[in-house]
Amino acid sequence: MDRQRDVEPSPSHDPIMIAHYGRLRRLCRLLLGDPQEAEDVVQEVFLKAHEAEQLGRPPMDWAAWLTRVAVNACHDRRRAGGWMRFRLRSSHIDDLPLVADTPSPGDAAVGEETRRRIWAAFRELPRRQQAVFALRYIEEQATADVAVALGLSPGSVKRHLYRAIRHLRRALGDAR
Amino acid sequence: MSACLSDDALARVHADLASIPERAHLAACAACTGRSRQLRRDLDVVTAVLRDTREPLTRVAPARRRWLPAAVGLSAAALALLVWVEVAVWRAVTPVPPSMQPQEVAAILSDVSASLFSVSGDPMTGAGDEAPLSLESMARDVDSTLTGAEP
Repeated sequence: MDRQRDVEPSPSHDPIMIAHYGRLRRLCRLLLGDPQEAEDVVQEVFLKAHEAEQLGRPPMDWAAWLTRVAVNACHDRRRAGGWMRFRLRSSHIDDLPLVADTPSPGDAAVGEETRRRIWAAFRELPRRQQAVFALRYIEEQATADVAVALGLSPGSVKRHLYRAIRHLRRALGDAR
Repeated sequence: MSACLSDDALARVHADLASIPERAHLAACAACTGRSRQLRRDLDVVTAVLRDTREPLTRVAPARRRWLPAAVGLSAAALALLVWVEVAVWRAVTPVPPSMQPQEVAAILSDVSASLFSVSGDPMTGAGDEAPLSLESMARDVDSTLTGAEP
């Protein structure tokens, strides 16, 4: 109980949470493919951020630090594996549409078949390529930052990105 | 003028892996520039879909299941190896004894019979030493044992 109270995010964290919560949630959803798990990982990441600040060791660059911790946490979750089996057997309530199938603006902009193919192609990518593509293109981070976040060399990041681009473009080409 | 860039070369350009000649060609070739812009638009579509749309619930088979055919093949190979070891190797190392002759079988059965019907507990001698057992002789043996008289 005491620990629970100790690690509750303090108000000083609000700016950091406001600035990075949505971004990290989107990144974790992409890497894990599960909204509930992504939510748990993001909470875990902000808990670690709070602990780092309590210990008097705040990072110089919160964005890079949070990204790195989130990617590692997603990696650990995937490696644990148990949740994956549960996930494949069940549908989270978050996945179910709350209202009748009204497409979001994003859904409406792209055809159903194209959307389905892109998601399938993304999920077919190896985990490392998914992470590189997500960070480089969706998070729009520089190659050097992606390399730091994933613990890779910049050259390795570029090679993973090249393979990911090749695979995704083929999937998009097939959809046409 | 060098040949136009392949699709893979254009992907290398977007991954910042292109060589200097490839970049030079891209800068000079209008066709390749157009294809590169098209690739950029395609990647924008991919990015927009991944960022702004819900992931469909249908899932592709995880890549890790690629090991399944290999595992099945390896299991079958291991099973075949076990069968081969049993059939060929093991039987060669420990040969099956040749089938016994009828005389040997008769001798063994006689020994077993003598042991079963021995009153003193000692096995009786083999079939060649004495006359074959009969019901009368067995009855005499029992009587003599019970009365203590000589048979």
